[in-house]
Parts: sequence; C-alpha cells; structure tokens
Amino acid sequence: MKEKPATVFVVDDDDAVRTSLRLLLKSVGLPVETFSSAQEFLDSFDAERAGCLVLDIRMPGMSGLELQQRLNEIHAIVPIVFITGHGDVPMAVEAMQHGAVDFIQKPFRDQDLIDRINQALEKDRDNRAGLKERDTIRRRMQQLTPREREVLDLVTQGKANKVIAGDLNVSQRTVEIHRARVMEKMGASSLAHLVRMVIEAERAS
Amino acid sequence: MDTNADPSAAATPQQDGNELKALLDAAIDGVIVIDHAGRIATFNAAAERLFGYPSSEVIGQRVEMLMPEPYRTGHDAYMTSYQRTGKARIIGIGREVAARRRDGTVFPASLAVGEIPGSVPKRYVGFIHDISARKAATAALRRERDRAQSYLDLAQVMLVALDAAGHITLINRKGCEILGYTEAELVSRDWFEQCVSPTHRDAARAALRAALQGDGRALEYTEDEVITREGHAKLIGWRTTRIHDEQGNASGLLCSGEDITEQRRSEQALKRSEQLLISAQAIAKFGNFEIHLPDRASLWSQQVYDIIGRDPDAGPLAPEEFAGQFLHPDDRDRFLHDWRRGVAESGRFDLEYRIVRPDGSTRVVHTLAQTLPGKDAPSLVVTGTVHDITDRKLAEEELRQGQERLTHVARLSTMGEMATGLAHEINQPLTAIATYAQASTRLMDAPGGADPVELREVLVQITAQALRAGEVIRRLRAFVKNRAARTETLDMNRLIEDLRVLAEPDARVNDVRLTLELAPTVPTVAADPVQIQQVLLNLVRNAIDAMLEAPGAPREVVITTAVVDQDVEVCVIDRAGGIPPEVALHLFNPFYTTKEAGTGLGLAISRSIIRAHRGKLGHRPTPGGGTTFHFTLPQLPGG
Repeated sequence: MKEKPATVFVVDDDDAVRTSLRLLLKSVGLPVETFSSAQEFLDSFDAERAGCLVLDIRMPGMSGLELQQRLNEIHAIVPIVFITGHGDVPMAVEAMQHGAVDFIQKPFRDQDLIDRINQALEKDRDNRAGLKERDTIRRRMQQLTPREREVLDLVTQGKANKVIAGDLNVSQRTVEIHRARVMEKMGASSLAHLVRMVIEAERAS
Repeated sequence: MDTNADPSAAATPQQDGNELKALLDAAIDGVIVIDHAGRIATFNAAAERLFGYPSSEVIGQRVEMLMPEPYRTGHDAYMTSYQRTGKARIIGIGREVAARRRDGTVFPASLAVGEIPGSVPKRYVGFIHDISARKAATAALRRERDRAQSYLDLAQVMLVALDAAGHITLINRKGCEILGYTEAELVSRDWFEQCVSPTHRDAARAALRAALQGDGRALEYTEDEVITREGHAKLIGWRTTRIHDEQGNASGLLCSGEDITEQRRSEQALKRSEQLLISAQAIAKFGNFEIHLPDRASLWSQQVYDIIGRDPDAGPLAPEEFAGQFLHPDDRDRFLHDWRRGVAESGRFDLEYRIVRPDGSTRVVHTLAQTLPGKDAPSLVVTGTVHDITDRKLAEEELRQGQERLTHVARLSTMGEMATGLAHEINQPLTAIATYAQASTRLMDAPGGADPVELREVLVQITAQALRAGEVIRRLRAFVKNRAARTETLDMNRLIEDLRVLAEPDARVNDVRLTLELAPTVPTVAADPVQIQQVLLNLVRNAIDAMLEAPGAPREVVITTAVVDQDVEVCVIDRAGGIPPEVALHLFNPFYTTKEAGTGLGLAISRSIIRAHRGKLGHRPTPGGGTTFHFTLPQLPGG
C-alpha cells in the first residue's frame, strides 16, 4: 500500500463520458487513469497495481463483459464497477454473477458512483491485505518443523494434547512444548487465531 | 221519215217499203241486212256514210268486204258454225268490232246483230255505228286517269280512297307496296276487314264515320297501324280529306299515308340511345359541352348541370362566367389562363380544377377539350368533356394516405428496432453532462474553489454534449414524424453522412462497424430525404440483423455511393450469410418477414419508395459472401 496509491481505471469508448469521469474522480481526489477501449486497458494491465475498474459494459470491439472474462481468466483480482445503459440490466446481472462489485446505470449521481468506487477500492484493499496475510501465514508455516506441522494440523482439528500425544506416541509434555513453539512461530495469540490463520491459508491455495 | 204520217192510217206494201227505207235512212246507225250466205241485202244511208260505199256497190256483195283482216277471213266460218251449232259470238249480244271503209281505212264500231225472225232462209240485221269519237274520248279519259294514277303511283305516300261504306275505291302503287297486295286484291274490298287489325277495326270505322260527318279531329294528322298481307303491323301517319259528290255530300275519304314504322323505330332508337347516353353520363358523372367562339354560345349536356349543381333551366354559361361563378378561388386564375392558352394556342385542353357548387360542396373536375374550326373562317368550336373525378381523387387521396401511414408505421418500426442504440446515443451525452456538472460542483466546493479556466472548459463541454443529445433527438423526431412526402434536391453523400447519427448507435450497440465509402462527388437527385433515409436505415438494420444471425461473420456494414450510367447508386453491403433462395423469392412481399419481431413492411415499403422516385431497389450477393442491397435514383438534369 505504501508503494503506489490505489488508482481508478476508467474504460469507456465515449470521449465525453470518459473525460467527465476523469474530472469527477479528480475532484474527489482519486487518482484516475482512463482508457478508450478494453484492449488498451488490457495492454497496460499490471496485476500488482492497486485500484478498481470502472467499466462501460457496451463497447465496440471488446465489450466490458469480455474484458471481465479475460481478467478472470488471468486470476486478476481488480474489482469492477460496471456502468450500464438503460437496457443493459440482463448484462449487468451476468457481470455480477462473474464477480463484479456492482453496477450503476447512466446517467448517475456522482455520490452513488463514488460510493461504489470506494467500496471497490476497499475490496481491493481487503483483497490485497488478505493476499498479504496469507503470504505471511504461509511463510510462517514454512518455518515449522515437520513435527510442529503435525501438531498444528492435529490442534486445528480440535484434538486435546493428551489425544495428540497418544496419536504421535510422545509424551503430553512434548506436545505442549511443540504447541507453544507453533503458537510462537505462527504469531498466534489464541487457538482461535491459529485456526483462522490455517483456514485462511488453505482457502487461498 | 214522214213525221206527219198518220200512224193509224193503213199502209200499202209500196208505202211500207218507202216508209221502211225512209226509216232506215233516217237512222243514225248504219243498218245492214245480210242473207244466210252473208250477202248484203240492205245498206242504209248511214251505212253508206259510214263505209263510203254507195249501196249500189255493196248490195249483193259479201259482207266480209266491210271487215278488215282477220275478221274478213274468219267470218264465213263463223256464220257456218253459227248456223250449224246456234252458238253465237255476236248475234244478240253486240260487240265492238273493227270495220273497213271503202278507202281501206279501219274504224272502231259498235255492232249489234240480230236474226230476223221468221226469215227463211235466215237473214240477219246489223246495226253499226262509228265509235271512233267515243273511243278517243274514252282513251283520253283513260290517259288522263292513267296520268293521275301515275302521279299517285309516283307519290311516295300511300293513297287510299274509301267510299262511305269503307270500301277501297282506289289505291296507289305505294299503298300496294306497303300493304303487300296487288291493286286488284284491294280495290272494292272493305278496307277495315282487309287492312286493319281486328282489335282496332271498330275504332277505325268510327273514325271513318266521324270524318264523313265532318268531325275535324278525324281529319287531323293521325297515326295508325295497318296490317300487311304478311301480317306485319306497320305504323302509318295519315292525312285525310273528304271526297264530295255532285250534291256536295261527303261520299268518301281520300287518305294519304306515310309508312313511319322505320322512322318511328329510329326515332325511338335515337331516343333510347339518347337516354342511354344521359344515364351513362349520369353514372359516369361525365358531361359534355360545346362552346362557339367568338360569340361564346354554349351547349351543355344535362350532366354538366348536375356536376356543377346548376339548374338546367338557367342555361349554360360562357367559360369566363362559369369560372367566375363556379371555380374554386384558388384554381380560378389557373383555369382561365389554361383556357385562354388552349383557345389561343394549343387547341387542346386538359384541365383539372375544383368547383364550388351553390350548396357549398367542392368537386374535383377534369375537362378534356379541343377546338375545331367553325363554319366561318375566324370562328371556333370548343368541344369537350366534364368529368367529376371527386370520388377518384378521394380514393387516390385515401390510397396515398394509407400508403403514407404504412410508410410511417414501417419507419416507426425501424426506429423501434433501433431504439436501444438511440437511447444509448442520447444517454451518453446526458451522462457526460451530469458527470461534468457534478464534478464542477465538487471542484467549486473544494477549499480554494475551482479554477475558472478549468470550469469554463467544462461548461463548453457541457454545452457540446447538450447539443449532441439535442441533435440526435432532432433527427429522430424528423425521422419518425408523420409528414407529407416532400421532394428536395439532395446530395446523397451528405444525406448518408447525416444518417450516421441515427445509424451508428444501432450499429454500435450491436457491435457492428458502420463504414462509409462514398464517391468523391455525386450528382444531386430529387428525392424526399426522410424517405430515402428510411430506405437506408432499413437496409442497414437488415444488414445488422443478418450479422447477428451469422456469428463469426465480419461485423461491418459498408455504405457506398457511385455513379452508374445516369443514376446515383447506393449500396449497403454486408458480409453475413447471404439470402437463402426461398427467402429471396418473397423478400419484397409485404408482411413477409424472417424476423421474430419484424412487420414485414420494411423492404416492401423501401421498394415502393424507390419506385416512387423512379429508381430501382434490388440485391445481389457480395463477392466473398453476404448480401449487397443497391438502389438507384435518377440524377437531376444538370445535377
């Protein structure tokens, strides 16, 4: 988050709509980059960059829906706010089914759009924070010894120390020592915290 | 003859002989006595005078000497025959004979012969007198009568004289001809029995009696039927006069009759055909007229009065008066101008104009006329027709309005199909405007306020976008408005460029690119811009729809213009799947459609629009796949 500020990427083939959106987002202090076609956006797409996509659903050439599909294919996580015309609700529904954050019909109240953009940016932040946390958890899990990893798995399965000692054929005391090491290496403050981290790590993979 | 002789006194034979001689000589007739052998025994003074023979020359001679041939040679045989058979040809009868004078001349004579009773052998007495004068008089009379008859016969009328009882006393040749009888078959017959139909006989006899009694009416011209020998009825027009005898009494009638059967039949035929003409004119609302120039005397048929609603008793009007009283004010000047030009120059008139009838109703009238030379050199006759075409005009107008409504419906339908694209096209500038305005508000609200230069630029943008939206709406309205057809001078390239505003949004929402490949310049055409746009939009729509049905086809519609021969040709080209033959067959049929929501009017109306512009609309395959629709419009002369 410290490297680059989150950016709102606007893709719309209509010059006037695009330019007015840039002005609006600029007026609320959001960094904006605009693209006149889906292809132009795709060509300069950088998955590392934080931000969200404001995407016209209808465009000549590659449409908004097609761009969404392409982004999904490359596991891009950038949240998308679709802007649609009056007759485009069926398309908007399809876009939502494919993971869009929201859609908004043209013309729109500026606050409605800004709220949605903020939601999207927040989601992107969450996404990116989540990604970062999983990275941390995974890194920590990689520091565990094989025996500690065994203990972690059994603990997170909800087994008592005595049962684990029996399973691993070690003393209950030994289990307690391993468990303390795991808690320490994983930076877990409680058993519940530890369980959440393991779930998080598994979900992402 | 001794006129003083006492008839009672007794006479001697000598006295008797003298008296007989005196008696014979005093007789006016020639008296000839012959014996049984035909020898002349007595020949009186009158006979001497008649024949020019003194009695001394003939006494004892044969009587044949007094006869010309062939009587002369036949007489002997006759007498022999009579004496043997007693069969008389002349004796006791009397007859007209030819006699021969001493000088050889022959004269007609009346001869009466008697056998002297008690004479043995038989003796015969003949009384003879010259009838030359009588014959001449009779012949003169006959000639006179023949001449009269020939006059009667020459007369081309039937002449019939009837006596008081109604018998035919005379009939001329024409009469015989008409009735089909010979004169002999008619004369002295009862006219009424012979020549009048049984049902009519009594009335006809009554008329005869009335005429004889001096009833003037019976002597007036009458028309009556006669029945011919063949049983046909003929209509005769009769004129009758009375015939009077010496005492001045009406003794009969002389009737002259004319066979008017044919005349009446043709009169009736004429009348019928006149009636037919009148009713035909009434049905067709078709009148005719004749105007004589320069005196402007006019003749109108009944129907002319009916059409313009004028009382026929009021009579016809001269053209100028007619124009003044009946022409619709808007048409009056043109009518008079055309009329005068027709009279002065062309001699032909083809005028369509409205009249206002006295009841205030308006009729549309068509007049065709021509001038013909009049009897005298400078005079003219204008003959022509007056045709009430109001109903036809109304029907045409209704048809035209129906066509216009249909065209409009098709236009609305095309526009409906394009609605999504157009809504989008209006929504874009509205979105831009709303966004610009809201951004400006935020900029102004920000600490330090907005940069006026930036703000000004935004306002310019807002204006441009508002105009952009307005333009779409303006064109949309112009296109869908129900309006009368209107021809303008058009540059097809301009029209197609303008069309983009309407056509492109539709293409865009369907992800189709609209490309124009226009000739650098095209000649101008005379056309209704909205109708031509309608055709173009319809073709572009069809091309777009064709592409939606042909996934994978290049999504491009190309509009081209070119000059082909003398025409401007416009093509709308797609690269979709082409038209299946079974569809091509019905392509231009109204209400034929392959589209789910199509009206089937688009192409049918497009074709009728182009036809109305004297152009052609058709299609051909695009080389390499797809369909090219093309239409032509004739270029304006000098365009």
